Order: sequence, then structure tokens, then C-alpha cells
Amino acid sequence: MTIAPPARLEGLPEYVTRRPGGFYRSTNPSTKLAIAALEVVAAFLVPGWPGPIAVLAAVLVTAAAARRLRGLATIGLAASPIVGSILIINLFLLPGASDPIVRLGPLAPTWTGLWFGLQTVARLYAFSAAIALVYLTTEIDDLLADLARRGLGRRAVFVVGAAVQMVPRTIERAAEIVDAQRARGMDTEGRFWRRARGVVPLAAPVVFGALTEVEERTIALEARAFSAPGRQTLLRVPPDRVADRALRWAAVLALVAIVGLRIAGRFG
Amino acid sequence: MAIELSAVSYRYAGASRPALQSVELRLEPGRVLGVVGANDSGKTTLCLVASGFAPKVVGGRLDGSVRIDGAETAAIPPHSLAQHCGLLFQNAATQLSNTTSTVFEEVGFGPCNLGLAVPEVIERVWWAMRSVGIEDLAPRDPARLSGGQGQLVALAAVLALRPRYLLLDEPTSELDPAGTALVADALARVAAETGTGIMIVEHKTDVLARIADEVVVLDGGSVAMSGAAAAVLADPRLAKLGVEPPARVRLERAVRTAGLEWSPGLERALA
Amino acid sequence: MSQVDRETTQSTPAAFAGVAADSGSTANDGRRGAPARSGSAPSVPSIELQSVSFTYPEGTQALDRVSLRIDPGERVAVVGQNGSGKSTLARHLNGLLRPTTGRVLLDGLDIRSVHVASLAARVGLAFQNPDRQLFAGRVSTEVAFGPRNLGLRGAALDERVAAALDAVGLSSEAATNPYDLGYSRRKLLSLASVLAMRTPILVLDEPTTGQDARGAAMVRSVVAGAAAEGRTVVAISHDMRFVAECFERVVVMRAGRVLLDGPPDAVFAEAAWPDLRATYLEPPRAAVAGSRLGLGATPTEAAFVEALRRRAGS
Repeated sequence: MTIAPPARLEGLPEYVTRRPGGFYRSTNPSTKLAIAALEVVAAFLVPGWPGPIAVLAAVLVTAAAARRLRGLATIGLAASPIVGSILIINLFLLPGASDPIVRLGPLAPTWTGLWFGLQTVARLYAFSAAIALVYLTTEIDDLLADLARRGLGRRAVFVVGAAVQMVPRTIERAAEIVDAQRARGMDTEGRFWRRARGVVPLAAPVVFGALTEVEERTIALEARAFSAPGRQTLLRVPPDRVADRALRWAAVLALVAIVGLRIAGRFG
Repeated sequence: MAIELSAVSYRYAGASRPALQSVELRLEPGRVLGVVGANDSGKTTLCLVASGFAPKVVGGRLDGSVRIDGAETAAIPPHSLAQHCGLLFQNAATQLSNTTSTVFEEVGFGPCNLGLAVPEVIERVWWAMRSVGIEDLAPRDPARLSGGQGQLVALAAVLALRPRYLLLDEPTSELDPAGTALVADALARVAAETGTGIMIVEHKTDVLARIADEVVVLDGGSVAMSGAAAAVLADPRLAKLGVEPPARVRLERAVRTAGLEWSPGLERALA
Repeated sequence: MSQVDRETTQSTPAAFAGVAADSGSTANDGRRGAPARSGSAPSVPSIELQSVSFTYPEGTQALDRVSLRIDPGERVAVVGQNGSGKSTLARHLNGLLRPTTGRVLLDGLDIRSVHVASLAARVGLAFQNPDRQLFAGRVSTEVAFGPRNLGLRGAALDERVAAALDAVGLSSEAATNPYDLGYSRRKLLSLASVLAMRTPILVLDEPTTGQDARGAAMVRSVVAGAAAEGRTVVAISHDMRFVAECFERVVVMRAGRVLLDGPPDAVFAEAAWPDLRATYLEPPRAAVAGSRLGLGATPTEAAFVEALRRRAGS
């Protein structure tokens, strides 16, 4: 699905204006955020099973259509230790539950606990899946550009963008520091105690290096007119089509409705 | 029309001694001024002060007057300073904005910050990239370039603000000979074709011998020598001031010290 | 310290005590493999790469079947443009990187299973960027880090630190905070911290980059001093003049392979210029001037002057 860029962006090279294609990936980032917010609210505020089940179903279907199912599965797997322990806690330690499934000495898993635990697990998975879906179908640059278009200040945009890019760079720098200290005889392959002694020689240069860089980076940014007043020109702006806007408003209204119904006690 | 430093002294906040003392300096559009000196002689400080970013962004105390095209830098806000003076450091990586995924957008970062209209941003970006000779790098990821390429991108990014002056602090120090040549050629071309005044701090005096019109020697924060590039770089006092003369000068000196005759043939061979 | 006369009258810093830089140590007399002088350096091993290939995890192949043998006491410079594999090669010498295929042999023994920490006692590597190493609050503590890791304590440790600081001219800054030193001197500090380990093999990554004239002269004196003690010195450098003047063997790399390997006379001779230029390197000015005047191979200023003198005399 190709979208003609707005006239004023003509002249920009295609590698700047090119939009990611694919179902849901080309949807406006703020719309995706609104939908995720709706899903999170539905997962927690709609009582019983319908809420989390509906959200999970919607997210899974969308992820499948956007070909991001595997990424979602990986994230789900990564979350499973936490989720698993919550299930176990509910199973064995739910206060007030008195219908044991079986007695194992002092431990007594209960049916209520199981029911409640499974529901909590479902909510948690629904919540994380909704957020993961945004992460898997949106480029950070696009998200920031869209938020900037809606008024997010350039400093906030810069901080988020730079932080994201900093991670691989810091890892790279840390690796080089490790090498330099190993070359001076610091033991990283031997016994634990010897390795523990390596914390300061490893951490300090990372910190000092980052600090000494900060001043130079600040000057470099100022030298590029970073603190100029007024609105920044945006080159890479995700389109906001009628469908995107309609979907966004629908999501926001649904979210407000759910919150309202819950407050008014209208959920059975 | 020039950058003029008059009786400039500068001390960093909390420093025990001044980094610059009574410096007089003039940088004119279209000229290339080389700055040499031992490390810690104040060369980086000179770049920061001449561009107005010290004390404004860096803090510290300035005595004397720094004027850019007649206006005191103290009266100019940083984003305007950036449009008068481009500033470039030796580490290309710290100069990336880290917010862009193509060189085109990286070079456009400055003009976008100024809120210029998109057609003007596009025009400036292409002009800057053409001046430096990196149009074919436009779609590349700025974080994945070689050192020399990164410096050229940083140079184009600064030029996109159309500064009248460009101040560079050891731009080639981390570069291999190929990268050094790229940057030196780009600078010479920019000075000649766009009339930008360039001040370049360098250890590699061979580079300055090739592209500089004038050279200033700093020693302990003061100007020890200044004048036409050829004369200053051939001055015998250079070595004592901690500066390596260019290869050509060293060779000539070695020949004369050995008591051998100097001939036009030798002159040509060493050129 | 006069810069023109460095080759023949280089005074050896006290650190390499007991060994005067005498007639045997001129940089380009073509002599290879000085025997270790008694009482100074521990016995110096040979180091050899046998058909080493290395590919980084993300897929770049940095070394392509490189075979290289460095004898005890040799002074070898490795040159090439960025991406030619020089840094990768250096990191194979002390085990920071392990070959994807091929072997690295120290005195004939494969170092595959030896920890980097153990190799550090025999191969010292000084990194290009000092700020990736410096962590201590005092210069002396920083320099002591290496020898301390090797097990030294007490008076022996103090002596090593003092000697290393003296070799780089930082004796007066022993109590200073490393980040209060300028960049040049931080680089010298990082060099001192490797010198203090007294490794028989010394590998230097771009030691003169970013140095001012005094710093560069100090680096040259360190190289001469280490060589005078019979240690092997390997340097990666862009600085062709430093290479031509201080090293007896130059290895030119390109795209992960060795393109040229020989004494400066041969590598910087006119016949080799097309190869050098293909890898974006320029021969030293002295070599260019000498070739223009038909003087034969004159990679260093001293050689150029000598060749002129011979022609004038004849």
C-alpha cells in the first residue's frame, strides 16, 4: 500500500520519506499507542475472563497479520519466569481460599487460587503483549517524529533517541575497556574472586569516558543550533491518514467508556 | 568582516592558571589559519573562545574582547553563534546527533533545529554535501561510517548552517592518511569555493603546509609566533615550542646541517 | 633532546638500566633478532601466526590466512589503512582475539588454551585510546595495576612503577589524577602502565597518534630503549616517518592480507609505491625526495642525507 507523501515533502530522497510497509506497521504510531492503552485498560478493568481474553485474541491476530508472531512469542517466553512465579504464589498462598485441590503436607493449592492465578496471568500476558506489539511494529524514529509533530519538546525527543542509540555504543565501549584491562593482566576467565576485583577497573573508565564525552557532546549539539527557539522542522513524519485518526479516536472513546462503566459499577 | 580576538585571556572555572593569555588573533573569510602548539598550549580553548562557545556554554571567565563580524560574542545566543561559527572536534562519533538514521538527515539536523522550511533544508543539505564531496554517502547510516567519512559528515553538518567561519580542533588526528587527505582537500575546497574563513588546529604540520595561509603558534596560552604559513613553519624556533616542522622543512634542515650544498634540484625534489 | 640525531645518539632512559644504546642499536642497519642481553629482559619468545583467518561475529572477515613470524628482539611495524586488519592482528598477539582458523604460537606453543591474563605477562599491548583504560585516582596506582596483576608487591612493585614513569617522563606526576593530565600525557601514562609489566614482547597500537612533538619523541625513545634491551617491539601505525625511522621491518596489510613485508628500504622503495598507493598509504617524504633525485632507497631523513653525502663525495 503506497501512500503519496504530502506535497511539501517533495524533494526529500526516498530513503528519508520511505515508510515501512505491512499491516499495522504502517499505522500511525500515536494510533498504535492509543490502541495499546485501550488494550491495557480493557485487560485490567473489565472483570472476569472476557477482558484479557479479548485483548490477547486481538493482539495475537494483529501480530499474526503483521508477521510479528515470533517476536511476540520470544517476549512471552522471556516473561514466563515472572508470570510463572505469580501463578504459583496465587495457587498456594491466596488469602481466604479454602478449597484445596490436594494436600501436600503443609502446602495446599486451592481451586480458587488456581482460577485467580490463571486470570492474573492472562491479564499480565495481555498487558505485556499489547505493549510488545507496539514495540514490534514501530520504529523508534517514527514514534519520536510523530510525538514531536504533536508537540513533544526537542529535548525529550533527543534524550529518548540518544538513549536508545547509546546502548549499543556503551556496550561496544565497555567491551573495549574489558579488553584493555585484560591486556594488563586482569583475570576475566579465572576464579570468581579475581573477577570480582575487576569491577572498578571496568566500571570507572565507562563512567569517566561517558562524563568526558558529555561536555563535548553538549558543545557539538549547541554548535548545531540545538537550543534554537521555536518548532523544529521534521523531515521524517509518519502520515496520519483519516483511517488512523478515526481508529485513534475510537480507541480513546472506548477507553473512556470502559473506565466510566467501571467507575459506575456497571460491569456485572 | 572577521573574527577578532583582542587582548583575550580566558580561565576555566576552578583552574589555577589561565588557559589563554593576551591573545590577539584575526580570522578573515576565505583564509585558512593554522594553529599549532604543544598539547595543553591552549589550542582547544582558542577554538572554544573564538567561536563564542566559551564562556557561554562552557563557563569560565573571559577578559578582553571576542568579536564576530563586529558583534561581541557575549551578546549572541548559542543558536546564532552556530550560524556564524561552525565548530568541529577530533572525535567524529561524539558529534553525531544520534537521532538520525541517514547521513542526509544528519546533515539536516542543524537547519531543522532552526525551523527552516523543508525546501530550504533540502537545498542546504545538498549544498553542504556537495561542498564536502559526500553526496554518495547520503543514504548511509551515520553510525556505520569510517573515521574519515564520519568527520566529513560532521563537517557537512556544520556547513549546512552556512557559517561564515569554521573552527576545527585537530580534525584529522584520529584519521589514517587517506582520511586525512580527504578532510584536508575538502577544507581547502570549502575555503576557496565558499569564502568560509577556516581556523584549523593541527599537529600534522604537513597538512598546514599544504592548505594554510597563515599560522599561529601557541605556547602556554600565549601567541609565541604568527605570520605567513611558509615562514612560520620554517622557523627554527618551532621545535623548541613543541611543534614538529613539516617534512620538507626537516629535510632541508637536515641537508644544511650536514654541510651539504643546497641546489634548485633539491628544492624541486623536496617540494 | 635533538630530534634530528635520534638514531645514533639516542640516550636510553634509566628505566632500561644497565644497557647503553650503543652502536648495535641503529634503527635501520638491517640487523634482525638481537640476542637478549644478560641481566635485563627475561628471555624473549618468538611469536608466530600460522595461516590465521579471523571473522568477526557480525560477519566481517578481518584476517585472511595471514602467516607471519616475529623473531625475538625484532622491531616490526604493521601499517595499512583502516579496515586492513592491523588492529585485529595485534589483538591476536596477546590472545584477546582467537583465530577462527589457524594458530598463534608463542615459542612454538599454541596459545589457544592460555588465558589472556597469563599471556599478559609475556605480551603487553598498549591501546590507542588511553581513556578506555584509565581508572585510578593516581598516576602511580594506574601504572601499578599491570605489575600488581602479575603478582608483584612491595619494593619490587615500587621500583617497576618508578622506572616506567621515568621512561615516559612522568616521574613528577606520580601523585596526579590521570584525568588532570592532557591527552598526550594520558597516552604516555597508558604506555607506562604496559611498560611496567616488563613484557618481553611489546605491542603498541597507534602510539604517536594525537601526540605532540615531545610526546612523539618520548615514544620513539621508549621503542629504542625496549629494543636495546632485546625486547620484541611491534607497532601499528599510520605515521610513516615513525615507522621508517624506528623499525627494521615493515608489514603492509590490505584487506586482511599481508601485501608487503620487508625492511623500510624495500617497502618504501619506488618499486613498491604502486602497492602502497593501492592501500592508500604514502611513502615517507624522504623516500619520495630520494627517488626524485635518483638516490636509491632513502626511507629516512638520515638515509637521505647520507645518500646525498655519498653522491657529493663521489
